[in-house]
Amino acid sequence: MSQKDDWHLTEILDYEHGRGDPFAAAVRATRMAMVITDPAQPDNPIVFCNEAFQHLTGYDREDIVGRNCRFLQGVDTDEASIAKIRAAIRAEESIHIDLLNYRKDGSTFWNALFLSPVRGESGDVQFFFASQLDVTDRVMAQETIAAQKAAVDSEVKRRTADLEKALEAKTLLLHEVDHRVKNNLTMIGALLRLQVRAIDDADIRVKLETMMERIDALATVHRRLYQADDVTRFDVAAFAANLASDVIGASGRSNIRLKCDIEPIEVRSEHASALGLILNEVLTNAIKHGLRENRAGSVSIIATRDGEEATLSIEDDGVGLIMDPASSGLGHALIKRLSPQSGTTVAWDRLPTGTRVTLRIPEMEQTS
Amino acid sequence: MTPSPPAFKALQVLIVEDEPLLAMDVEMMVEEAGHSVVGEAASLYEVEAMETEPAPDLALVDMQLARGTNGLDVSKLIQDRWPSAVIVFVTANPKKIPDDFSGAHGVIAKPFSRSGFLSALNYLGEGIADPPPASSQPSSFVAAPAVREIWSVRSQMDR
Repeated sequence: MSQKDDWHLTEILDYEHGRGDPFAAAVRATRMAMVITDPAQPDNPIVFCNEAFQHLTGYDREDIVGRNCRFLQGVDTDEASIAKIRAAIRAEESIHIDLLNYRKDGSTFWNALFLSPVRGESGDVQFFFASQLDVTDRVMAQETIAAQKAAVDSEVKRRTADLEKALEAKTLLLHEVDHRVKNNLTMIGALLRLQVRAIDDADIRVKLETMMERIDALATVHRRLYQADDVTRFDVAAFAANLASDVIGASGRSNIRLKCDIEPIEVRSEHASALGLILNEVLTNAIKHGLRENRAGSVSIIATRDGEEATLSIEDDGVGLIMDPASSGLGHALIKRLSPQSGTTVAWDRLPTGTRVTLRIPEMEQTS
Repeated sequence: MTPSPPAFKALQVLIVEDEPLLAMDVEMMVEEAGHSVVGEAASLYEVEAMETEPAPDLALVDMQLARGTNGLDVSKLIQDRWPSAVIVFVTANPKKIPDDFSGAHGVIAKPFSRSGFLSALNYLGEGIADPPPASSQPSSFVAAPAVREIWSVRSQMDR
């Protein structure tokens, strides 16, 4: 049986009208407030209300019967909700809606109103039936939750605005510092280059040039880091290849051939400067000393990885000069002191012609 | 310095840089590489005030210039005045250069090393004298997309 035909359910009981009618008794006695209105009369007045309705609203039956339901509305009752109820009545449709209503004493309650037309045999609307349930607690709880949510939202908004402002200030500061670092490195390089040119003593000039190359190596490391997508990693193999090609390119010597066979070797950027300085010593040793006095030759850079350790070897076919471990030169000291922080070992081998320097660099742990 | 490869041509170089020490340094490196400096300017106004002759072959232009002027405007002015000049930005903020370089040809990022700067200069010298350059493109120089297409032909060799 469809819900639409449920009126048969009350029909199949054999009952008397009047006092013995169990449905009328149920409506009279239920704790759910109920009214019946008659749309055939002017202004659709209430023709019946039960005790629960009187109890809920505080009005006596005499106050109620004969009046339109709107006497329960007050100043804070939502106009849009009232309009919806009117539209439902006009369209002869049922509706359920939460509405703020007023008791006789002026106090308010939230009314979960259910209103529905009662049709006769002909299908015409005979009555409207309405039930009212006090849901003030539920509505108040919802309002409290909504108010708390709004308070939290506004607090979140305020904190977010504060954080965005702080981030903006920090970003500005970072750009300023970044700009200063770059400019200072550029200026230091320029000052050293200007000084080198002004020195007549060949020995001193060579020493200062060596120092200038070290500063240049640091500048190159910094430039590569700030231009990289990921500032936490530094590819030492690509750096070595670029440094070698710059040094050879700048020397204007066309008799040095550079051969590179490299895989990326990434280290954490905190080790970038130290490894950059080490590679600068090794490469300038190969190019400036191994292939000294315009000696033709080649420099090979080979980078391989085996999962735990990366190997970067730099080989020249020059005069086979090995940086003397016992020498007191700063270059050797730099390599010796700077390599342990990244766990790198540096081995020097004399070849039949030339020198091979092998750096073994621990692979960067992928998670950190 | 050792004699340079056959394609060498002494370039007329314009330097637009507002930091006097760096301008001096760049001038000396340009001359060291066998080229000559035709003019130096610290702002757009100084470039405007320059004689139109001789025309520079290469302009090295800083992005942030004196008197509130910038390298992009200088680049436009150079393109109007000396259409054949190759324009290279020299800047610590390469990310501020538009993707298409606004008609300029490339960038050398600061801080540069002496060897990086000189190899970029060699590469540019070869490219201007007899394009495309014989050397491969050094990492210190980044060519504008339009230039890269024309010049990168030979640079894929044995890096």
